[in-house]
Amino acid sequence: MKTVMMSSLLLLLFYVFALAAQSEQASGIFPYPYHKKVLDNGLKVIIIPMESPGLVAYYSIVRTGSRDEYEPGHSGFAHFFEHMMFRGTKKYPGSVYDKLITEMGADANAYTSDDLTCYHLNFASEDLEKVMELESDRFQNLYYEEQAFKTEAGAVHGEYLKSLSSPWFLLSEKLMDTAFDVHTYKHTTIGFRQDIEAMPTMYEYSLSFFNRYYRPENVVLVIVGDVNPASTMELVKKYYGNWKPGYVPPQIPAEPEQQAERTANVTYNGETLPILCVAYKSLAFDPKSKTMAACVLLGDLAFGETSDIYKKLVLNEQRVQFISADFNSARDPQLLTIWTMIKREDDIDNIKNEIYRTIEHFKQEAVSKQKLNDLKRRLKYSFLMGLETPDDVAGSLARYIALTGDIEAVNQLYETYEQVTPADIRDAANNLLVEQKRTVVVLKGGQKS
Amino acid sequence: MKSPMIVFAMAILFGFLYAGCRSSLNDQTVLLKVSSDPTISFAIWFKVGSQNDPSGKEGLAQLTAAMLTEASTQQNSYDQILEQLYPMAASYSASVDKEMTVISGRIHRDNLDRYFDLFTQAIISPAFKPEDFERIKSNTINYLEKTLRYANDEALGKEVLYQAIFKQTPYGHPEAGLIESVKSITLDDIKNFYKKYFARDNLVIGIGGGFDNELVHRLKQALNKLPKGAPVPVEKPSPLPIDGRQVILVEKDTRSSAISIGFPIDVLRGEDDFYALWLANSWFGEHRNSSSHLYQVIREARGMNYGDYSYIECFPNGWARQFPAPNVGRRQQIFEIWIRPVQTEAAHFALRAAIRELQKLVDNGMTQQDFELTRKFLKKYYLHYAPTTSLRLGYQLDDKFYGVQDHLKKFPEMLDRLTLEQVNAAIKRHLQYQNLKIVIVTNNAIALKQALIADAPSPMKYVTPKPAEVLQEDREIERYPLNIKPENVTIIPVAELFLR
Repeated sequence: MKTVMMSSLLLLLFYVFALAAQSEQASGIFPYPYHKKVLDNGLKVIIIPMESPGLVAYYSIVRTGSRDEYEPGHSGFAHFFEHMMFRGTKKYPGSVYDKLITEMGADANAYTSDDLTCYHLNFASEDLEKVMELESDRFQNLYYEEQAFKTEAGAVHGEYLKSLSSPWFLLSEKLMDTAFDVHTYKHTTIGFRQDIEAMPTMYEYSLSFFNRYYRPENVVLVIVGDVNPASTMELVKKYYGNWKPGYVPPQIPAEPEQQAERTANVTYNGETLPILCVAYKSLAFDPKSKTMAACVLLGDLAFGETSDIYKKLVLNEQRVQFISADFNSARDPQLLTIWTMIKREDDIDNIKNEIYRTIEHFKQEAVSKQKLNDLKRRLKYSFLMGLETPDDVAGSLARYIALTGDIEAVNQLYETYEQVTPADIRDAANNLLVEQKRTVVVLKGGQKS
Repeated sequence: MKSPMIVFAMAILFGFLYAGCRSSLNDQTVLLKVSSDPTISFAIWFKVGSQNDPSGKEGLAQLTAAMLTEASTQQNSYDQILEQLYPMAASYSASVDKEMTVISGRIHRDNLDRYFDLFTQAIISPAFKPEDFERIKSNTINYLEKTLRYANDEALGKEVLYQAIFKQTPYGHPEAGLIESVKSITLDDIKNFYKKYFARDNLVIGIGGGFDNELVHRLKQALNKLPKGAPVPVEKPSPLPIDGRQVILVEKDTRSSAISIGFPIDVLRGEDDFYALWLANSWFGEHRNSSSHLYQVIREARGMNYGDYSYIECFPNGWARQFPAPNVGRRQQIFEIWIRPVQTEAAHFALRAAIRELQKLVDNGMTQQDFELTRKFLKKYYLHYAPTTSLRLGYQLDDKFYGVQDHLKKFPEMLDRLTLEQVNAAIKRHLQYQNLKIVIVTNNAIALKQALIADAPSPMKYVTPKPAEVLQEDREIERYPLNIKPENVTIIPVAELFLR
């Protein structure tokens, strides 16, 4: 009996390797060959066979997030809608969908951010067709009644409540609200409180949201793991081929150029060390843009763990608990933000000035080639070491795919990183880290409870 | 026919990857060779944890471990270490639980040699510099005084629950310590603790991924430089019996109420009842999964909060993880219910709903249908517990802790052998609903205390309509007797927690 089983196993392994050998060869940093197809209705499908013990990651990436909530009073709706997608269809109502997913022992969940909503499942490869049937069904035939819609609004409110005790949540909310005037990045993904509280009244709107955004042209399907590309592609055609196109792009207002520095303060109803964030309007994600790539690298070079300011403020003088910079890759220009948690309230202004001095330094002096190369190497290894499982691979690609609609963005981005020179870093600092594009927010603890 | 065959093949393949290639050299080594893996995972388990903190020095184990992994070595200052790790995108870290301290790291094989030196130096030749000590200690105090108390009501509720259940035992304080205790820790305390517990006879070496035998030899040689010494074992904690339903209300300025409920259980991984209880718990409250029955009752049908789960093994950082982390091995576990924040006015009702469901589980057991469905679910779901080499390595260290022969392999075998009767008998043996510790983080402590003691109906008010069957069941839930005695309700202002 054991011999039979081992033979099946070896066949399985052989099958995986054989498939990999027949696939298109990948070029660039992404190490796995992949198969890509756009169906007639606009649905893009990316299949990545990968050696994995019978596991498959199945990601449905909807290129809609809180960025698409341009209509007043509807902030937070993309995330709320993500919840509704688990309420099922007439064929497979929510409870039946749940039961079938449970029977498969699948790890199924979803998340929403500014530029995407992502539905992801990990399961045994034998369940691929059933999963595809269920997923294609809910994306095409979602059905729920108003009562279920209203009940789910309570769960979203609960999700909002659980976030409120975090100072980081309050700070991010204030930062986005201050930095943006008209663009939908003004609100966080979960939305403004008053809009969340009004959600139970938006049943009709939810149907329109589904009809406009949950369309094949706006979705990319990524399937990674122990799969046969040819037969999987056939299954995709079978289950998604009749999905009707009809995507209506959102009318997102462009953010006017910021003309002057903005500041804001937040009081937190609890104890915390003060948190300072200094944010600059940056660039939309463009994997071919050397300026954008330089901007991403600049944040880490100037404020990362091996930067001079980190050594000074975190390790030597120990005046801040940490400092870091974060370039938010997004479809429209977003923020490059420097975050730091300061040990003494009376040191906030001094720390702010240290940050400004660091920026000035990067405007004047080109970073050393060695430092820049170390960072490029770090990015490469960081990416490669994060591709261990099918879920890792699909998860790492999801945002790039959402931002550009294509997997090629990954290879392009890392190629562009390679081209960035120390002079590009200096230019990025001069062009982007300027006072008129700056928003500074300080959060302090309030009275003790 | 296809289905069981492939599942079996998957199971074999998992076994092949994590067991077939294993060739333990002795009791102190766990080897998990995965030739196709371009990375190498290290995990060095020292048999020490926060249970070894001396009284008045709570937090010493965690501070000591941080002085190894977040500080200078005799060869390099900490900034030099960061500089060298940076281009490799590598790091190493320590996880400190009650009984286990594991120092782990992972590296791409291209960078192995450079990394190996940094990793081993961190363990065998820490510098214990005062400036590193001040930085790490200050961060820990900030965590205890501010982050743990204020930044996450759910984390706070769980920590207070563990403290309440394990009061006056070596498990009775957070791994990070207590504020006054951490303040009193000196660099000499750290050095002495290191000498005593980070000894070569007190560790287990784990290596996973694409390594060769020469690396094993090198690692053993390097760690042989640690001093000899076998510390005296700490007795298993004996939590005091809980008499009735005992409530701690943590008073805090918050807009919602986070609820944690628990009591000790005498079941550990590897025992027959563990697998029976795991199945029952999976049905009752599978972590962050809509299959959880509690989730169905409280979130799905009523929209009261974001989720509702239960546990028979400690599950740290549940808000950030989908699957349990390894290396949280404990000789004493609790059964725990986690009700995510509900609106304050609904806290009483939510508590009643959760305990009522627990009572139904204990009194009635599971149905054949739920048993079959949950077994089917777990037989595939467990494959997600450890999809990577480093996680499987972590599980194998846990096997040594619990004295289990390959838990991940045993798990589906035990599920196959389970019967409904065994599961229901295990529920009866280990679960109960009368003697509970309950923690609620709320801004409404005095009113809630009065309401709990009065045991008067606590009707739910929904802003949206609910089906008749839900409303009908609500009438039972709102009157469900909690029988909480006045002397069993304590109010603690948040600022008084974790002091000493």
